[in-house]
Amino acid sequence: MATEEPSKDEKGGVKFDLEKETELRFEVDSGDKVQLELLSGLAEIYGSELNRNKKYTFESGCKIAVFTWQGCSVQLTGKTEVAYVSRDTPMLLYLNTHAALEQMRQQAEKENERGPRVMVCGPMDVGKSTLCRLLLNYAVRLGRRPTLVELDVGQGNIAIPGTMGALCIERPADVEEGFSVQAPLIYHFGSTTPGTNIKLYNKITSRLAEVFNQRCDMNHKACVSGCVINTCGWVKGSGYQALVHTASAFEVDVVIVLDQERLYNELKRDLPFFVRTVLLPKSGGVVERSKDYRRESRDEKIREYFYGFRGGFFPHAFDVRFADVRIYKIGAPTIPDSCLPLGMSQEDNQLKLVPVTPGRDLVHHLLSVSTADSPDENIIETSVAGFIVVTNVDTEHQVFTVLSPAPRPLPKNILLIMDIRFMDLK
Amino acid sequence: MAEAEERNAVDSGSAWTDELLSPSELFSVRTRDHKIPTRGQKEFLYDGSEEQVERLQWSLGEHWKLLSEERAERQGSLVKAEWKPEDVTVELKTPAGKFWQTMGYADEGKQFLQPEEALFLMECGSVEVFYRDLPLSIQEGYELLLGDKTISLLEYLVFSHLKRLGYIVNRFDSSAVPSVYERRLNLVHKREKQSKQQRKRKRSASARRSDDISEGQPDSQDVQNRREKAGDDVFMEGTSSDSQKAVGMNYFSSSAISSEDVCHELPSNSEQKRPDWWEKKSEEAPSPGRPVYFKQSAGKRDLNKVLFPNLGRDCLHTNLEIPNACLLPSNVTAKACNISSWREKLNMRQMRLTRREREELEKKNKYKRGVNEDKEVRACKNWQEYKQLLERRSQSSSEQRPAHLWNDAVCPLVTPGQVSSTGDLLQQISIMQASHLVDDAVGLVADTCDKRITFDVYQADTAFDFKKSDPGKPYSRISVCSFEDPVPSLHTLKRLAQQSGDVPVTFAVVDNGDISFYSFKDFWLPTDVWQ
Repeated sequence: MATEEPSKDEKGGVKFDLEKETELRFEVDSGDKVQLELLSGLAEIYGSELNRNKKYTFESGCKIAVFTWQGCSVQLTGKTEVAYVSRDTPMLLYLNTHAALEQMRQQAEKENERGPRVMVCGPMDVGKSTLCRLLLNYAVRLGRRPTLVELDVGQGNIAIPGTMGALCIERPADVEEGFSVQAPLIYHFGSTTPGTNIKLYNKITSRLAEVFNQRCDMNHKACVSGCVINTCGWVKGSGYQALVHTASAFEVDVVIVLDQERLYNELKRDLPFFVRTVLLPKSGGVVERSKDYRRESRDEKIREYFYGFRGGFFPHAFDVRFADVRIYKIGAPTIPDSCLPLGMSQEDNQLKLVPVTPGRDLVHHLLSVSTADSPDENIIETSVAGFIVVTNVDTEHQVFTVLSPAPRPLPKNILLIMDIRFMDLK
Repeated sequence: MAEAEERNAVDSGSAWTDELLSPSELFSVRTRDHKIPTRGQKEFLYDGSEEQVERLQWSLGEHWKLLSEERAERQGSLVKAEWKPEDVTVELKTPAGKFWQTMGYADEGKQFLQPEEALFLMECGSVEVFYRDLPLSIQEGYELLLGDKTISLLEYLVFSHLKRLGYIVNRFDSSAVPSVYERRLNLVHKREKQSKQQRKRKRSASARRSDDISEGQPDSQDVQNRREKAGDDVFMEGTSSDSQKAVGMNYFSSSAISSEDVCHELPSNSEQKRPDWWEKKSEEAPSPGRPVYFKQSAGKRDLNKVLFPNLGRDCLHTNLEIPNACLLPSNVTAKACNISSWREKLNMRQMRLTRREREELEKKNKYKRGVNEDKEVRACKNWQEYKQLLERRSQSSSEQRPAHLWNDAVCPLVTPGQVSSTGDLLQQISIMQASHLVDDAVGLVADTCDKRITFDVYQADTAFDFKKSDPGKPYSRISVCSFEDPVPSLHTLKRLAQQSGDVPVTFAVVDNGDISFYSFKDFWLPTDVWQ
């Protein structure tokens, strides 16, 4: 595969010369850092262009692909686990997909219509998030203002895992940090897999679609630019049903299935014909991520929320009295069917708001601060203002200590508990 | 210097020296046993026996003896007061005693007592009431101070009973009770302050006025009262505009708080500012009469011309042409290519399926028909039409039910599939809604019962820190009925409960001398299902 011979220079950096339409893939060794510098030519990472002679730093565990349309030479400094150049990339297919979407946007602009709504789906580890980032980057580079709808509760690309949300993209993603997260719309889901409460998942999806429609009504540009929906890697059973529901809620125009032909055929069968369903290959550079790696990256995401990218933020720690807040969990615990009243199904409990009495078991749990003022409001469909994590519970004094991105007091007193826990160790 | 209370108005004309008691007389009066005789078992049935007649005679004699008993009080400890029938009030002429802590009211620097308070104090021997410069006897007190304009004898009996037990009893003032609306708006506090001022200025007038409203019998008022009322109205108007102003201020301050809240809103690290782009209008000037965008218009644009690269087996198109440069971002140059080679690189990620999942999948593939095989679906041009079609179908499927059940005027309360839980079902099939005391009495037959709430009662143990100007929430409210009266109707109950607000209403039933108290409690029927 690797055709270019890397040449070492005097500072220990490795120089790569990339041909037209090739890709440099590298992984950063654990516990190390790698610096990337574009020496000549033009290159991009997932659609974000690189600046010449600027040093980009990637932390341990990063898996990066530098692509060039015209050819370039880059230099890597630091220890990489693997680094090779590949000629075999589906970038041309992705670019053509973008071109088709852009054509739809132009048409929408001409006819005062709504722009394309794209749903990206496929099994785990096929590069869904990367394709979303690529399509959004290309769109925003052409002056569009597309919306990213994040339904992957396991990754939480916009906020933290366990949430669903939408983000308006106004500039290309930062090469190191990703999309700048300003004023996202976030809803609380509470778990890293949609299977724990599929009814809630579908409910929030519908709510997001509703809010996005409202936004399209108000903002012409956003309407024409459309949206890109990132979905979960769970494509069997209820996960598949959730995909069909998402397509229907957002009234998607295009469905992009990555890698899996079975899913493509099923969606072709279950979605009406006017939805353009296409099958695209995954990139050869996509690496399978282990469970541990996923857990670590989730942890990292939460840490980044509190401490900022590379520790740029300093969160506040303070005590909150039990009496000052009300904590709820969405979804009543499941009861055996035999214990239920006749004719009642388990699902009815999934959207119930259950009050949680604060106690020792609250420690390390993440809590969403709802923007709702009272529990009478539709809390499930109310967006969240932010997140806090419980670091200590003092049952004697009826207080718990929290780590919060903002100083006290909490903006609202309704908190929603997540299944996700976060240890503030580093 | 003592004066006998029990005497006639005629007697009072004679020389005051007649009333002087000799030391021995005074001593016997002061040391007399003040105990009320025990009444023993009540006689229910006349049995004609001598014994019973004797017993009755004896207790009657006891009674008269008790009534005729002379009581002596020190002249100096008697507070002098004057009965003013035109104001229906009793004005104090000498400084008030300890009773002032819980009784009476002040107006324009003068101290007044309610008639029933005056009568009670007369009976206690703490006040001497004059009318036309002559002191009143207890009997005269009963005749003059009780009546249509003040309170009835029954009500007085309840009043004095409660007073003797140590309770603090005030006239009920319905205007002081916050309405449901006010309570919801949290205006109670404001209201209390306002009523405090009101109480100081003119309590009796406002109280009577409210009674008026509740009774709807203005004929009992004389001209003087009407004049007073008019003045009162002006006063009330003033306060109401005051309260409006207060509401306005409340509104502004609360909005200030909420805007502060917004400032305090937790700016999560990565979302430091919250420009509401969800609501933000587009930067471009909106062209007038622009259509609603998110609705797809039917078939106006032909998106089928837009070519997507697709590796599906059903797609024969494999050659990608060079995309138009205007569709690509700057610095991106692409060339044409053939994608058929990518077909071999599909399905790289192995799917792990359990046996059950695989069986299900096979079944689905075998039996499930694609939605697009349906002609009606093919006729739909966009999501709106498709969704409408689905809705139509789900509706029509619900119409296929036994006609004999639904086509009559009388039909089942619940349609299949209409409810999702037992709680819903219960709601659907409950014909009579639960009613509560404080609910509106709509739909109930209004009766002409003139029952009203007469007194506010405060607990006895609060007496030492009780403030007349700020009595707080009463312990209970009393409505007085006679034993002969019928049991109050549901309408009356609801009316009184609503008038009283969140304070329970107690019914004092007077059976000659005996007073018993009854109250109606609200309760919820338990519903033992998930709602």
